[in-house]
Amino acid sequence: MNIAIIDFGAGNLFSVANACKNLGYNPVLTADEKIISRSDKVIFPGVGNAISAMKRIRQKGLDKVIPSLEQPVLGICLGMQLMLEASDEGNTVCLGILKGRVTDFRRRNTGNIKVPHMGWNIIDNLEGRLLKSIYEGTSMYFVHSYYVPDNEYTVANSYYNGIFTAAIEKNNFFGCQFHPEKSGEAGIKILNNFLKL
Amino acid sequence: MIEIIPAIDIIDGKCVRLTRGDFTSAIEYNSDPVRVAREFEAAGFKRLHLVDLDGARKGSIINLDILEEICSSTGLIIDFGGGVKTDTDVERVFNAGAAMVTGGSVAQKNPDVFLGWLNKYGQGKIILGADVKDGNIAVGGWLETSSTGLFDFLDYYVEKGIKKVICTDIQSDGTLEGPSVKLYKDILDRYPGLELIASGGLGSLYDLRELNNAGIKSIISGKAFYESRIPLNPYPLETLARRIIPCLDVKDGRVVKGVKFIRLRDAGDPVELAKRYSDEGADELVFLDITATHEKRKTLSELVRKVAEAVNIPFTVGGGISSIEDVNAMLANGADKVSVNSAAVRNPAIINSMADKFGSQCIVLAVDARLENGAWKVYLNGGRLPTGIDLFEWIREGVDRGAGEVLFTSMNHDGTRNGFANDALAHIGEMVDVPVIASGGAGKLSHFKDAFKKGKADAALAAGLFHYGEMSIADVKNYLAQNGIIVRT
Repeated sequence: MNIAIIDFGAGNLFSVANACKNLGYNPVLTADEKIISRSDKVIFPGVGNAISAMKRIRQKGLDKVIPSLEQPVLGICLGMQLMLEASDEGNTVCLGILKGRVTDFRRRNTGNIKVPHMGWNIIDNLEGRLLKSIYEGTSMYFVHSYYVPDNEYTVANSYYNGIFTAAIEKNNFFGCQFHPEKSGEAGIKILNNFLKL
Repeated sequence: MIEIIPAIDIIDGKCVRLTRGDFTSAIEYNSDPVRVAREFEAAGFKRLHLVDLDGARKGSIINLDILEEICSSTGLIIDFGGGVKTDTDVERVFNAGAAMVTGGSVAQKNPDVFLGWLNKYGQGKIILGADVKDGNIAVGGWLETSSTGLFDFLDYYVEKGIKKVICTDIQSDGTLEGPSVKLYKDILDRYPGLELIASGGLGSLYDLRELNNAGIKSIISGKAFYESRIPLNPYPLETLARRIIPCLDVKDGRVVKGVKFIRLRDAGDPVELAKRYSDEGADELVFLDITATHEKRKTLSELVRKVAEAVNIPFTVGGGISSIEDVNAMLANGADKVSVNSAAVRNPAIINSMADKFGSQCIVLAVDARLENGAWKVYLNGGRLPTGIDLFEWIREGVDRGAGEVLFTSMNHDGTRNGFANDALAHIGEMVDVPVIASGGAGKLSHFKDAFKKGKADAALAAGLFHYGEMSIADVKNYLAQNGIIVRT
């Protein structure tokens, strides 16, 4: 099976690739449109901020490619956020695969919270194929300052001074706000669920 | 996670709360229910439980205009109850914009009418109101108690297809003294698929945690919000775990600072130790490299790569990180964060460049400081070089420049095993809105609790304590959990 990990610049892609290798696959890191389109599975990680990420994605022409992919695509962290229409982060127009706007945690008007939301938090209300055989209330590792609001494609919730989307599933597009590659055994299981789709 | 549904009870067009349903106990909280509903919506609530107490008492709907106004000026999903008796009443309530109707008295007195609604509108839109006093169903604004037992009542309607039930424990309602967890648990045990909404008695986050642990999915709250007993938030329970972080000092690719683990083939191998801590439940790891050679970046990159291959929890690398290239090398080889210390003090702008390029979330500002004549001062080079810089001013500047986390080591406490510098930690925690890692001084289990409770830290770091096997990560986490601190288990 061919797995493409979209590489559009800085960040830790090593851990995602390593997790795939430990599961017995041999992924390629690439920004090449042809390689991505031909892959059986596409992983779309994102580290850094939405503005520079979308800029690089456009420079490489991937803003047209990613939404038109028909094989399973997994957005991780910023990768999931970029699947929405827009982000509060720099008021950025994103890929528009899902309706909605990525929202700044600082805009939540209830109490003072630390931003980024960093560390291990639970996921629950689990549904869908990505989270198959994961227990309600399992802890995952999160690092983010913006969140995807709860919506019709939410398949896992988490809570940080209110509810937010921990994972999404819409047709062939999947996403998780947490880092499965950094979330211990349960995280690896989620990656495996995706790679086995 | 348990969800809170806010309640608005209306008498004479105003928001009130009663105690145990006693109308003479009514306290007016706000004269404008529409405004209160808008405030709930602004705070992130999606649901609203609206009760027409005038209607409940008189046996016919009185405050329909308020329902209409709330529906037209908010997007809240509202269930309405109180005085809904006839088919026409239900129609009026739905026409006014309610998503659901709650029927209590009518279900007890006229089952055929209530079942007619259930058949017509479906189990998603009709809620059974089961208000219970001394085990029996109370009706008519709770002015009367019927002879129908709660479970007979529920048995009957569950069998008829009711899916949503609001159960109010009248004895505790409005008291803020804690809900009847056992009652709700008994109901859920008997009807596992029921969408039970608990109501009555909620007075604290402790109550909420008890309910959540018992598997209750939602509870109505009125007074607890109006009297600020719990945060105005549909999910106020904290779920983000406090982190426990073992720290490994590394020199020339080997762990230094005595490690006395038994069962390790090679106590000096950072990869083996990392794996062991990861397996034991460490939430994160920190590697501090104290090698002083020109080849440093290369050897450290190799180490980072080996660690990233071996563990699947996040880790931070620090020690001499001074350039964008350094950060890039660490992240590209699998580190999640880097910590900057001396280089940032010498050239603060490097924090901005690193945060711009890689994101604040992977830049940790590490600071070593000593309390001298009542003032905390920053030290460099592993605590050997005084700078005279004020600790708090430096941390504020570092965070303003883009550091996404602070790792504060008190040199007065480090190695003493007498506890963390909780006063300074608490001050930092109040000052910045990024997570703070406490470091230096861990010696006993209670020190970790104090770092979180008194020092308001988000994470606590220790080295020798874990290396010498004096306590395990699991010991610390079990102790913290017993003391009401959220940990990942």
